[in-house]
Amino acid sequence: MKRQIPLLIAMIAGFVMIVAYFIPYTVSWGDTVIVWFDVLAAIAFVLGGGNLLKVHLKKTSDQVPGWGYSVITIVAFVIMLVIGLGKIGVNPAAKYPEFAWSGKFSEMGSPFWWLYEYVFKPLQATIFSMLAFYVASAAFRAFRAKNIEAILLLATAFIILLGRTAAGPALTGWFPDAIEGLEADKLTSYLMTVFNTAGNRAIMIGIALGTASVSLKILLGVERSYLGSGEE
Amino acid sequence: MNRFLIVSLTASAIALAGPPQQTAIAQEAKPAPPSNLTATDHPWDNGEVLDLAWDAPAGGNADGEYFILRTVAKVGDQIVTHDFKIIDSAPGDATSIGVEVKHHLKRAAVRQLGDRIDFEAILATGEYKFTVGYLFQIVSVNADGVRSSPAQTAEIAYATMQPFDLGRLALLCVTIILCGAVIFWIRRARSGKPIKVRKIAGLEAVDEAVGRATEMGRPILYVPGIQDINEIQTIASMTILSHVSKTAAEYDAKVEVPTSKSLVMTTARETVQAAFLAAGRPDAYNKDLIYYVTDEQFGYVAYLQGMMVREKPAACFYMGAFFAESLILAETGNSIGAIQIAGTAMPAQLPFFVAACDYTLIGEEFFAASAYLSGSPEELGSLKGQDVGKVFVALVLIIGVLMATAGSMLDSPAIKEAVEYLKNTLLT
Amino acid sequence: MNKSNRLWVILFIIGAVLVAGRMLISQSLIGKAYVQAVPVNADEENEDHKWTLYEQSSQTKFNEAVLEDPNQTKYLFSFSRTIGVWIAALLTIFVLSFLIRDNPLYKFAESIFIGISAAYWMVVGFWSTVVPNLFGKLSPDMVRDWAMPGLGIDERVELMYIVPLVLGLMLLWILSPKGGWISRWPTAFIIGVFCGLRLITFIHADFLSQIRNGIAPLWMVDSSGSFDFWESLRNVFLIIGVLSCLVYFFFSFEHKGIIGKTAKLGIWFMMITFGAAFGYTVMGRIALLAIRLEFLFDDWLWLIDPTGKRLEAVISMLGLF
Repeated sequence: MKRQIPLLIAMIAGFVMIVAYFIPYTVSWGDTVIVWFDVLAAIAFVLGGGNLLKVHLKKTSDQVPGWGYSVITIVAFVIMLVIGLGKIGVNPAAKYPEFAWSGKFSEMGSPFWWLYEYVFKPLQATIFSMLAFYVASAAFRAFRAKNIEAILLLATAFIILLGRTAAGPALTGWFPDAIEGLEADKLTSYLMTVFNTAGNRAIMIGIALGTASVSLKILLGVERSYLGSGEE
Repeated sequence: MNRFLIVSLTASAIALAGPPQQTAIAQEAKPAPPSNLTATDHPWDNGEVLDLAWDAPAGGNADGEYFILRTVAKVGDQIVTHDFKIIDSAPGDATSIGVEVKHHLKRAAVRQLGDRIDFEAILATGEYKFTVGYLFQIVSVNADGVRSSPAQTAEIAYATMQPFDLGRLALLCVTIILCGAVIFWIRRARSGKPIKVRKIAGLEAVDEAVGRATEMGRPILYVPGIQDINEIQTIASMTILSHVSKTAAEYDAKVEVPTSKSLVMTTARETVQAAFLAAGRPDAYNKDLIYYVTDEQFGYVAYLQGMMVREKPAACFYMGAFFAESLILAETGNSIGAIQIAGTAMPAQLPFFVAACDYTLIGEEFFAASAYLSGSPEELGSLKGQDVGKVFVALVLIIGVLMATAGSMLDSPAIKEAVEYLKNTLLT
Repeated sequence: MNKSNRLWVILFIIGAVLVAGRMLISQSLIGKAYVQAVPVNADEENEDHKWTLYEQSSQTKFNEAVLEDPNQTKYLFSFSRTIGVWIAALLTIFVLSFLIRDNPLYKFAESIFIGISAAYWMVVGFWSTVVPNLFGKLSPDMVRDWAMPGLGIDERVELMYIVPLVLGLMLLWILSPKGGWISRWPTAFIIGVFCGLRLITFIHADFLSQIRNGIAPLWMVDSSGSFDFWESLRNVFLIIGVLSCLVYFFFSFEHKGIIGKTAKLGIWFMMITFGAAFGYTVMGRIALLAIRLEFLFDDWLWLIDPTGKRLEAVISMLGLF
């Protein structure tokens, strides 16, 4: 029973959504459940946040090596959560000064904004920027793998890179008219509109088929591993 | 209600859009106007289209075109002033067109109603949905750009909604074909007929990766992507996690699943617990190995790359929806010498996984992984069903391309029209 | 202290000395933040309803204002934001240090990032989803009196939103010692709903539209009506590419013989596709790094001045002496 009911819920919910897609009166249900999901995901933060605290509190109390970092995480988490939920240091909205809670939680100048601006944002941007190094090392690795697939990948990447920067026209602009089509920027546009389009098209069709098949298997209960064992 | 400016329909003088000088010049060579303009609700739709039809002017208008003008004439029981605006055009040889009408008012029409804010609030309640009535005009425009006097619809037209959207009939048929094929092959497999599928290298390597982790006494890292459980790739990832953790339970290896979403954490726990039970090792299940890190994409990545360098997992699985972090993960995994198997349906991230991982499941292969790993006949049957879908695609593409080529070579309008019908009616 | 720790300490000291040296050269131009005070007068009669907002400003504006009136209070040096710039710069360096190897500074930045970001998204989820989309729908009057006075007066109670509330509570039931299985119901509901929704939308949007866009004549004519070889070749490549990639994805046949050769062609097409996407991304990634370095060397240390704003500040300062 503990497994049958969820299976039935998934099946009914899924097929209702499929049928609703064809009925003008119910076609907007898709948008409604997306909002519901957002609410549900926000409620589920309690589980995630609780787990985060639990993991790091346990590390701290067990004094596992590096437990000091767990203390830092807990302190950062609790401070950010309290000043954010409490709107600490946030002025009311100028339009509604008599409502103390009406200000924006991320108002400029508030402690929450400060932590976002000077801690969150730089960290986020720096991690993202590390990709520049990883792109280089990945290209280097592909370069060493001497099979035809890797060569195709790297050669295409190189041509596109040339075509999208000033280096392309500078290096290949002198090509005579007969092989004009091989100039880096022309080749780039050809590669993008022909090969890239063809490959992506087939991949997208495959993804759509895969999505449909996985969804159907879940709705029919063929695939049910996500529901757990049915035990407590 | 009094705040709405009420103007009688009949009393309104209708001025055509367009600069006055042009009208003055046009006085002499004005083309004849079309006649009998009617607007009727488009049948079997979601109530957003009105069909216009008219008779061509005497002498025809084949060289010119038509301009369609529209105004909101009535909202609920409120009558509104006319403010005809050009909304569409039709070729000179046409005598009908479908025009889209959304159930909200254009700014100009609302302003005429006096109090814009309040009116929008009322509209937002949905009270006036499908009660917005429209009037249309049509003018013929000759090859010199001179406009005729307008012909107008006699009655206010309303768009209404029907219980089925006929425009989606072709979609319904395609859905039935695709799903039917999958169901047919699942049933066939259930009846015991043998199912043969080709090998996929990345999936053959799963056992090897888990085995290696066991030998080395190091953990397995499983990253289910950064999207929530409402993303089909995350759901597919859970089904793969089930098999990976079952194999790990059999080998007695440790699987660590850090997640970036709370709901993914709870679902992954259910999945892994069930897998350990199925492997006969329920006691070995440790829910603390499946934990939440942070919802922030790069915070999650910062944790993962640090963790990978410190714990040095022997095998890394990246299965799910990934964005820019794909390469950070795959390159870090590479630097610690882990066996890496990735699978995603994000076309933009596939290049990075292909370049940096040992095996990559591309798009549809990723969705097929769970069927392969389970090895159950009904799951494998579903893959055959997907192949039927691909045959369908290939057939439609080949027929469509051949038709389009024939239409282009023979310059045949009939074939071209058939191709247009295929593309714009059947395949939308 | 082992060898690697010693190395880190030395590196850290060198860095600190360099920064200190940089400060000694021109202390007034390194990583300082200035603000402009904007008084907010929400209610003329009530003193409690007056406060000041501090918007980001520049050193140039501050200098100019001081030059005009030494006692001005409109442009101010912001201690908290100056500290902010320094913290941001140090965290940036801590993270980049990971590229050399894992180290305590990176671990410190990582721990802070996890804590701050997890809480950040929870706060965002609460104020921008739970409050307007749950409380605001179930009890608009309460929310209007509390946090969203701008909420429309016509906003009605939408009982439908009890569904996500109940599902959410069922989900949280997992925390209780007994009956945790009930949390599978909302999970099943969500997975079922989205499987249905994705199934149909993927067939509609991706599947059909990709087939539709794939239908193109192999015999192209140009505007003058004559055969266009290059355009035709383009379409021939397109259709061959799509079909061969589809063959690669076939599960029913082993990749042998003619199928194997076609699938191989499909792989080549896909490798070119991937290469194109790879090449397309590289420049963007390098730009991201450039922005970070610009922050360090311009906003913080002023070792470079690409926008000329530092020079501007120096010129504006000349009048002060």
